[in-house]
Amino acid sequence: MKTITQPVGEASRRRSSIRLLSLYRTEIAIAIAIIVMELAVGAIVPAALSVGNVANVAQAAAPLVIMAFGVLLVVITGGIDLSVGSVFSLTGMVTGLAMAHGFSALASSAAGLSIGVLIGAINGALVTYVGLAPFVVTLSTYAIAGSLSFIVTDGHSLPISDPNFWLLDAGTLIPGVPNYVLWCAVLLIVIEFGLRKLVAGRWLYAIGSSSSSARVIGIPVNRVRMTAYLLSGLLASFSGLVSVSYIGNAEATAGSSLMLQAIAAVVIGGASLFGGTGSAFGALLGALMITIIQNGANLIGVNSFWQGTVTGVVILIAVLIDRITKARR
Amino acid sequence: MRQPVRTLAFAAIAFSVSLTASVAHAADAKTVAYIAPSLDISYWQWVGYGVKERAQELGMNYIELTSENSPAKQMDNVRTALTRGVSAIVMGPVSSTSTPQILRLLKEKQLPIAFAGIGPQEGQTDYTSAVTANNFETGKAQGAYVCKLAKERGSNKVGMLSLPQDRENAQKYLAGAKESFKADGCDLTQMLETHGLTVSEAVAQANDILTAHPDIRALYGMYDEAGTGAAKALQTRGMTGKVAVVTADGSPTTIKLLRDGAIQGLFLQEAVGQGIDATTQVSNALTGKPTTQQLALKEPLVTKDTIDQADAQKVVKRVYPPSAGKF
Amino acid sequence: MNKPPYLMTARGIVKSYGPTSVLKGFDLSVAAGEVHAFLGGNGAGKSTFIKIISGQIDRDSGSLEFAPNSASSSAADASDENTIAVVNQELALLPHLTVAENIALPRSRRGYGLFNASEARRIAVDALSLIDPTFAQASVDRLVADLSLHERQLVEIARALDSGASLLLLDEPTANLTAGETERLFTVIRRLTVDKGLAVLFVSHRMREIRQIADVCTIIRNGQTTIDRVALTSITDAEIVEQMGQAALGPAAEPRAQRRPRTSGDGIDAGKPNDLRVQTDGIDLEIASGTILGLAGPPDGPEALMDALIGVSRAGKWSIARNGTAVSYRRPSTAARDGVGFVSGDRANKGILANLPIVDNLAASARIVGRKRAVRREEVAQGSDLLDALSIRAGSLWDLPATLSGGTQQKLLIARWLRLKPTVLVLEEPTRGVDIRTKQEIYALIREMAAQGAIIVWWSTEYLELVELCDTVLAFDPDGHPTSVLRGDSISEAGLAHATGMAA
Repeated sequence: MKTITQPVGEASRRRSSIRLLSLYRTEIAIAIAIIVMELAVGAIVPAALSVGNVANVAQAAAPLVIMAFGVLLVVITGGIDLSVGSVFSLTGMVTGLAMAHGFSALASSAAGLSIGVLIGAINGALVTYVGLAPFVVTLSTYAIAGSLSFIVTDGHSLPISDPNFWLLDAGTLIPGVPNYVLWCAVLLIVIEFGLRKLVAGRWLYAIGSSSSSARVIGIPVNRVRMTAYLLSGLLASFSGLVSVSYIGNAEATAGSSLMLQAIAAVVIGGASLFGGTGSAFGALLGALMITIIQNGANLIGVNSFWQGTVTGVVILIAVLIDRITKARR
Repeated sequence: MRQPVRTLAFAAIAFSVSLTASVAHAADAKTVAYIAPSLDISYWQWVGYGVKERAQELGMNYIELTSENSPAKQMDNVRTALTRGVSAIVMGPVSSTSTPQILRLLKEKQLPIAFAGIGPQEGQTDYTSAVTANNFETGKAQGAYVCKLAKERGSNKVGMLSLPQDRENAQKYLAGAKESFKADGCDLTQMLETHGLTVSEAVAQANDILTAHPDIRALYGMYDEAGTGAAKALQTRGMTGKVAVVTADGSPTTIKLLRDGAIQGLFLQEAVGQGIDATTQVSNALTGKPTTQQLALKEPLVTKDTIDQADAQKVVKRVYPPSAGKF
Repeated sequence: MNKPPYLMTARGIVKSYGPTSVLKGFDLSVAAGEVHAFLGGNGAGKSTFIKIISGQIDRDSGSLEFAPNSASSSAADASDENTIAVVNQELALLPHLTVAENIALPRSRRGYGLFNASEARRIAVDALSLIDPTFAQASVDRLVADLSLHERQLVEIARALDSGASLLLLDEPTANLTAGETERLFTVIRRLTVDKGLAVLFVSHRMREIRQIADVCTIIRNGQTTIDRVALTSITDAEIVEQMGQAALGPAAEPRAQRRPRTSGDGIDAGKPNDLRVQTDGIDLEIASGTILGLAGPPDGPEALMDALIGVSRAGKWSIARNGTAVSYRRPSTAARDGVGFVSGDRANKGILANLPIVDNLAASARIVGRKRAVRREEVAQGSDLLDALSIRAGSLWDLPATLSGGTQQKLLIARWLRLKPTVLVLEEPTRGVDIRTKQEIYALIREMAAQGAIIVWWSTEYLELVELCDTVLAFDPDGHPTSVLRGDSISEAGLAHATGMAA
């Protein structure tokens, strides 16, 4: 009793590539902006385009990218997670402390990751089951975890000297590809796939779009939200681990500036703080953009205090361009 | 009926007299308040350790307050300390420019104050003592050493990872370093200021300086994390030792890096020592002993070869407490 | 096998919200394969009951039984088939997702399964094509946020039809549909009830449609059942109205033939000229004060004219002149201050301020027109008067509008303009989701305003309404072009169907 027959073959394929392009419109715009920026910096400081610098940028961006992935999941549901920076720091401190007490790299990392899971669970439970506003809940956990990062070692930073641990960041499981790039790539593929192709991914967008309608349709809103906050905590934790393995030093303030950057990255990449939109690809590009701005400013020699202005202006321009191209539709 | 009332009255008076006496007695033990600009950096924790140790030695009580890098909070802290009846203050100010109004207030209250680490604004005189490192001289010495190491490696170009230049100590360091660079013919190609004083930031900045100026042969670190960060950046590039790293402050981490050859020189700043000396100064003021208004401690250079010598070790012990790590 | 008589049986349902008792022991039963009309007045408890059956709210007491479809062959099938699909008046769609996703997503029960986008598209196209094939093909990848209210209704209905539910609950489903779409919807419903034993419980106030599609009806009044499963063939409209408790309606509606032709200057504001002239290619219409002008046809055409009149968009292809001077309103506030009022049936999006209490909702337009900076105490007294004037029963002026039923909220939106005596009042499907008694009250109100000199511009997709109210009707075709102007006796359902090209 089908009244319409499916379009087949060539027409269908063309249609899907057009669809893909329009789906990732914002991301493509940001990618172009990044390339243009990099070329501009390269014109002033040729070394910016060197392999070494690109590797540096990738290295510096990796923790931010991973953290942004976590924040993305929460933002898509219309929530926010302000605790990610503190989770980052606290994970590093706990891991360092465990290692200093003689635990293996693996056990210490597990201890560190459990911090992310714990805080993610607390955030999720308070938002979902108690019904508190995400901003307030994660602001509190941000403050608590932040101060715990100091309490753990009375404020001292911890050196981490286990060479095995180093593998987390800079080893090469796949020859030629630094591990941190590997983690970012794997997470990008897994998360983007999950968001686009898994029913649970669609549910995330549904909840962010209209949680009341989602409930009416029968989506398990509570379970999905809880999972989003758990994953955000876990990813923030993991990013702290990656960072600490490279730096070789756990500092209590390590993650403080990252929280706002992660949120900015997600929004630059196309997510809305009201929920319902966003992509992993966009979050990665947003994180890259922020890192490249800092790198570019340093290379050119922009006075550090101007960097904030530069970052803000570039982000505004990128977002405006995206808005203008959207309006033209 | 009058009898019990009179007894009660006497008892009340006797009680309050004894209470006052005991309070007065407690007040005999003086309290020193240590007000740090922030306690999230090891340096200021170590200064506090020094203050606490010395206070204990002198039989004084110790309280600690942090200003979280805010001049407003700092003023609040001063008032809180006064309310709590402290006898003296040892302060690391948030900035030199935030000090005049504090000194005005304390002069009124006739309370001795000693600065540690960062001195008060130029021209101020109403304070007991400023125990700082001689930043200008250190800058000069460090600049000269950095230049020398750069030349040894075949270039006169150097880079710098600096503290925020709104701080008096940072300005003095820079002035001294520039003088040396000029005198010794070195070129300060690029300087980047830190915001968060974290190692990650230092790594990124060191990397970027080296990318932008591949012919730099020495890096001047104005603070401890700069040294760690620069060492890390060089390690990633496989250039340890090819570019010299010299930094100020000193910590278990950088001392280890020094021993491993990843850093070529440390100008030790006696954080603990400053705390100790500042406390001694205010105690002197309280007990009528002579005080020295400007105490500029030297920041001696230690290298891999000299770190284990007795006099170096003595200095190192005044840099950080035993709980921070190995010496 | 003992086939139970009814698919769903509700007995003695009781529900109270605090001190207000909404359902006081209500019974209703629906059989498989029947279309069951659910009638009742404003605030009688219909929406509450529907929410209870669909599981959105809990009942206080009473029993609710679902019998498995007799076609089921196993217990598992039976429980699966006990699904209910509901189409509320407030649509439950996901704006950020595409039409295809909205229709297909509810089918996926497990989160870790894959979501097949092309399969979803196919499902959506099939479901939508049942009602509107062109729309289906064109819109399946569009985001719901970009759809008009009308289009969203289609999507929500398609979703319900596709859900494979055995019981469909429809709350005013035809409110935003054109005659053609309504016809197709009814065809689908008839087919599904015959072929699959689908049961449909549907709330509507459009008597003609009810008679077209429904087999039996149940009437609720004051929270209880007054008519239980009576075949529509054995009850008259008058009896229905009476049973709903809406018999006492006040003065009978003025028959159209008796209405005096309006001339300028007639009415209370004599001496104040008020005429409106709208022009576009092929149409040059002059409307005198006191006229009720109807707009007939699907949304595109009427909306363009209405938007220009109320200042939402620049005049575009319409030239508008008032009292001889051309006007082009830049903003809604300009139009409002020039005496143009606007009332929409899309209450949630174009009228009600949900987070503000009733008193603020009533004063809203007055504040704009009068450029008021401060909230005044007199607004409370004025609000109170307005509620009385429209016989609106509200708990208190400080309650939120959500505590009022749809019809009452609509009266609220009209009340907003009452004191301001607008010279032009534009209404967009204003009786959407409003029961018969309230409808009549609204008609009387609008007639009163026209009698006092206002020009009324009224768009409705219910031709009966236009026939009853209007002196003149401007008809539009499905592409949005105005086709013709009908006056006097030529305004009839047949005439309108012909002029709008919406003959089923």
